[in-house]
Amino acid sequence: MMSATPSAATSDRTDAARMTASSPPLAAPLKTPRDLGWIGVPVVAVAGLAAFWLFPSDLGLLTRILAAALYVLSLDLVLGYCGIATLGQAAMFGTGAYVAGIAAVNWVADPLALLAIGGVAGGLIALATGALILHARGLTLLMLTVAVTQIVQEVANKARDWTGGSDGLSGIDPNPVFGAFRFDMVGRTSYLFALAVLVVALLVARRIVRSPFGLACRGVKEDPLRVSALGGSPKAYLVAMYAVAGVFAGVAGALTAVTSGIVGLDSASFSWSAEALVMLVLGGTGRLYGAVIGTVAFMAVHHILAATDPFHWMLFIGLFLMGVVLFLPGGILSGFERLAGLLRRKGDKA
Amino acid sequence: MTKHLRTALLCTAFGLASGWGAGAGGAQAATIKVGVIAPFSGPFAMVGKTFKEAIAVYQAEHGTTVGADTVEFVFKDLDQANPAQSKALAQELIVKEKVGYLAGFFFTPDALAVAPLIDEANIPAVIFNAATSAITEKSPRYVRTSFTLWQNTVPLAEHMAKQGIKKVVTAVSDYGPGIDGETAFKATFEKAGGSVVDTIRMPLKSNDFAPFMQRIKDSGAEAIYAFLPAGPTTLAFAKAFADNGLKDKGIRFFGPGDITQEPDLPALGDAALGITTTFNYSQSHDSAKNKAFLAKHKELFGSSDTVTFTSVGAYDGAHVIYTMIQKTGGKSDGAKAVDAVKGMSWESPRGPLTINPDSRHVTQTIYLRVVEKVDGKLQNVEKAAFADQPDYGYKVGK
Repeated sequence: MMSATPSAATSDRTDAARMTASSPPLAAPLKTPRDLGWIGVPVVAVAGLAAFWLFPSDLGLLTRILAAALYVLSLDLVLGYCGIATLGQAAMFGTGAYVAGIAAVNWVADPLALLAIGGVAGGLIALATGALILHARGLTLLMLTVAVTQIVQEVANKARDWTGGSDGLSGIDPNPVFGAFRFDMVGRTSYLFALAVLVVALLVARRIVRSPFGLACRGVKEDPLRVSALGGSPKAYLVAMYAVAGVFAGVAGALTAVTSGIVGLDSASFSWSAEALVMLVLGGTGRLYGAVIGTVAFMAVHHILAATDPFHWMLFIGLFLMGVVLFLPGGILSGFERLAGLLRRKGDKA
Repeated sequence: MTKHLRTALLCTAFGLASGWGAGAGGAQAATIKVGVIAPFSGPFAMVGKTFKEAIAVYQAEHGTTVGADTVEFVFKDLDQANPAQSKALAQELIVKEKVGYLAGFFFTPDALAVAPLIDEANIPAVIFNAATSAITEKSPRYVRTSFTLWQNTVPLAEHMAKQGIKKVVTAVSDYGPGIDGETAFKATFEKAGGSVVDTIRMPLKSNDFAPFMQRIKDSGAEAIYAFLPAGPTTLAFAKAFADNGLKDKGIRFFGPGDITQEPDLPALGDAALGITTTFNYSQSHDSAKNKAFLAKHKELFGSSDTVTFTSVGAYDGAHVIYTMIQKTGGKSDGAKAVDAVKGMSWESPRGPLTINPDSRHVTQTIYLRVVEKVDGKLQNVEKAAFADQPDYGYKVGK
């Protein structure tokens, strides 16, 4: 279904090529094709709604996929657009989930307010830790991000009175969305709520990465020295984007807390950070939609394999990942792009 | 694209039709599904295996039908504590597989996650393991056939006080069950006149116990009460206890039986000799029922070495589910099914069991065991039995 985006882009490019042939003076600006990336957002929305009708009894899983996609999207902002190698995204996810969960148990019951609280919490922890650790690069930074996750998890484990420790924080019972749509057992409300949040988040993320700020971050990724020579502060850009991504991760955490009604220590675990990285690399980094596609592909395959053979599925998911890495090193989206490239070349020849 | 859409639509239509088909079967000769959520892969895969094998043993002994209904177990893998996934799996089992019963649950948060679901769907959840006392307070549809740390610790603390032990150090891993054990021990032992001279909480992932051993030595305690997660951590702790001379100094080692469960004993080796524990099940328990259970297990799977507390938890859980189905005549009504088994008593491989009508947790005999070498094989040898122990932790609060 996702192939709609690249193929549309292809036709656009072939048009451009034809135009180039007829009017040479316009060649230079037309080489960068008109951006059609926005199509992805409605495609996600439509595909999401289609899944709602097609798989009415799998909404629990689908809701988890959507929340995870939002979380992986936050990692893409950091890794794909800033080049920050991190294994600490779960720290922000977990903080958002726990803070929203604690708020839900004690004070607030409105789901939208809970998302906002989770987002703020995730953003703040990212801002604080980012300012501390983002002077480092590469492996050092990777280790520091792991350390931050461990600290968050240990705090959650120790603060038993607030978080429930290793028993998990249960008893999160949010009000109906807009006071009308109750979170039902089948998960219809949860799913549509999560879908709406993801679509809005994609729009916002797209706006951010295309803004001057987002472009500056990409500049830092490519050549930090040059950015500082131009008078920009690479670290300030990185910390700012890290915090923005923290907001996204926090909202994802809060979304999980609201839709599942419980938060466990696993939400701030190293393995959850690593899994995000796997899903992102699978889909393709630095593309936003790669996060969504990677998450859907990984979790769907995971689910199907685990359902068919609950005892040996891990072996097969390993094979699947190796296959993708071997044959599509840039992720699934890069496969589409390569396909589009092939078609284009054919088109050029014709 | 359209082809895919058509396939998908066909699949949905087929799915719906088969769903209706199953529903239309009605009261006679229906298949009643039981969804089991447990770790079947990853580091805790052993647990899922013991659940599955124990259920197979039960079905081999009692058949796969109750009345006219066929009972089918559906297994879902949850490789580590992950409550959000636990809930999604339960949702899928209820909505898609149309299970009438949920079961399994190794970790506490995974069991807690399904509370709102089982209440809304009116489905009973039979917990085979998850041992935090507070779980059964969260929904009236939970029934538990395992044990709690309170249940094992209270008789142990009383026994130690009766032995004339006055000064004890508690050393527990710093997580839910460890804290539960510490609280239960302290409360009981101090009430019985003893004193807890130091409470040590050790990091969950630590494998270096030398500094804690020094602290225990310095405290002048006569004995320790220890609880750590089973496996390598307990192994390292028991080794450090022996290597640092605490064993030779005559300090006695007590704890709940999770730390010396049968599959781990060979790895623990001679360091485990003399550890005194209290627990609800030992493979070496001497009863006809246990012998029959082990024999059947050996017949089906070639060996009964892996049989442990999770096996009997699942075996007795299957018995509770069969009884629920029988007493409700196969109709799916969670509240009624739970009511039907309240107060029920039966003879299990571990001894006599009763489901307490208030806590919906099994009241059972807790055995005092010492690790000894029997015919060259390390065994938990039962020394005494404390009959009719309830869950002392029920409604104690956090």
